[in-house]
Amino acid sequence: MNRNLLISLSVFVLALSGIARGDTDAEVQARKDALDLAAAFSNDGFKVRDGYWCGVVKSHDHSLVAVNLYAGNQYWFSAGTTEPAKKIAVSVYDETGKQVTTDSYENGERAAAGFAPSGSGQYFVSVDLVEGEQSSFCLVYSYK
Amino acid sequence: MIRLAGLGVIVLAGGILVTVGAETGHIPADQMAKAARSDSISIPTPGELFTALEKSGKINWAGQYRGPIPVTYSNRAQIALNLGGLIADGFIAVEAKDGQQVKNIGSDIIKLAKALGVSEKLLGRGSSINEFAENNEWDTLQEELEATQNEVKSSMQSHADQDLVILVTLGGWVRGTQVVTSAIVQNYNEQSAKVIRQPALVHFMQSKINEISPELRNEPLVKDVSEELGKIEKLVSFPEGKVPDVEQVRKVNQAVGKLMEEIESKEAPK
Repeated sequence: MNRNLLISLSVFVLALSGIARGDTDAEVQARKDALDLAAAFSNDGFKVRDGYWCGVVKSHDHSLVAVNLYAGNQYWFSAGTTEPAKKIAVSVYDETGKQVTTDSYENGERAAAGFAPSGSGQYFVSVDLVEGEQSSFCLVYSYK
Repeated sequence: MIRLAGLGVIVLAGGILVTVGAETGHIPADQMAKAARSDSISIPTPGELFTALEKSGKINWAGQYRGPIPVTYSNRAQIALNLGGLIADGFIAVEAKDGQQVKNIGSDIIKLAKALGVSEKLLGRGSSINEFAENNEWDTLQEELEATQNEVKSSMQSHADQDLVILVTLGGWVRGTQVVTSAIVQNYNEQSAKVIRQPALVHFMQSKINEISPELRNEPLVKDVSEELGKIEKLVSFPEGKVPDVEQVRKVNQAVGKLMEEIESKEAPK
């Protein structure tokens, strides 16, 4: 099967599975946006992890998600949100709480952060509301 | 830093790509303690672990196969743990690019899943795994295995078997760690040994086991697994920046090997 077609189908099926689980419309849309963004990294060999986290981003606050990463791998963390949030940002912190250097992509309601950890262990992905009002967000990640 | 060349420019068009420096922020410990954690995003898949290991050199994945395990367990906790282990075996066979082994393991996964009464949709997954294996579609197979694992867990949740979900995850982690530590001991280098350090991950799985129902938690096998996990947590808790030496990796391998032996033993402890 064509790999790009499979990725598109996966995005569609994953969005549908959100509906089946009773996620809100906003979460389903946010998840679709996050997966669409993650799919772009697939062109560079990144595999999208079949798992996600949906939550709420608030003004002057950040949502933190704990992940466990392996040294040697490269990662992209992709997040999507919906109106009334207008702009979000994704950043990564190590287990001591120190922000790590990342490549970052920001485009309004979608944002991503990419980096290659030098050490294995726990990291924290932060999704911040930069502009707009409180809304649902969804986070997925890719690795290679 | 990750090279961004080759990304989907159509999707990324209009966005801003920047490198964010490390000096800009810090989050306090109390916020880190409250961070969201879940099975589906905080616990890496065996595929992620194997991908990291491969960066340090060629791995003899076929050399990490084990013999067939029984698929006739009657204890549900034991079935869940072995199901996770088998899914990790599937990832190993994919890394080895061994279609026949993938098909054999796929068939065993379906048998064990059916024993737990999980969704009939899994039968379709079995067919897909066979088809992808016959066509040597290795990346797709890895995605299919992840999807299979998630479907098993999702089906368990809808059947009020959510306590078993963490056991599937744990079984996969134990088997994956057994294989990875074995490969590192056989051909030690510092880069590969770095993947062993995962104290927070083991601590999180232990905390999830502590949340399951007292009946299940008090089953002898689950009790043993929980106790052993506490010991393993200490073995994988190296200070940040410290790379385990070959003897430390060997100790982890022995500990997870002992645990795997108990999980796959036909007679669960009384």
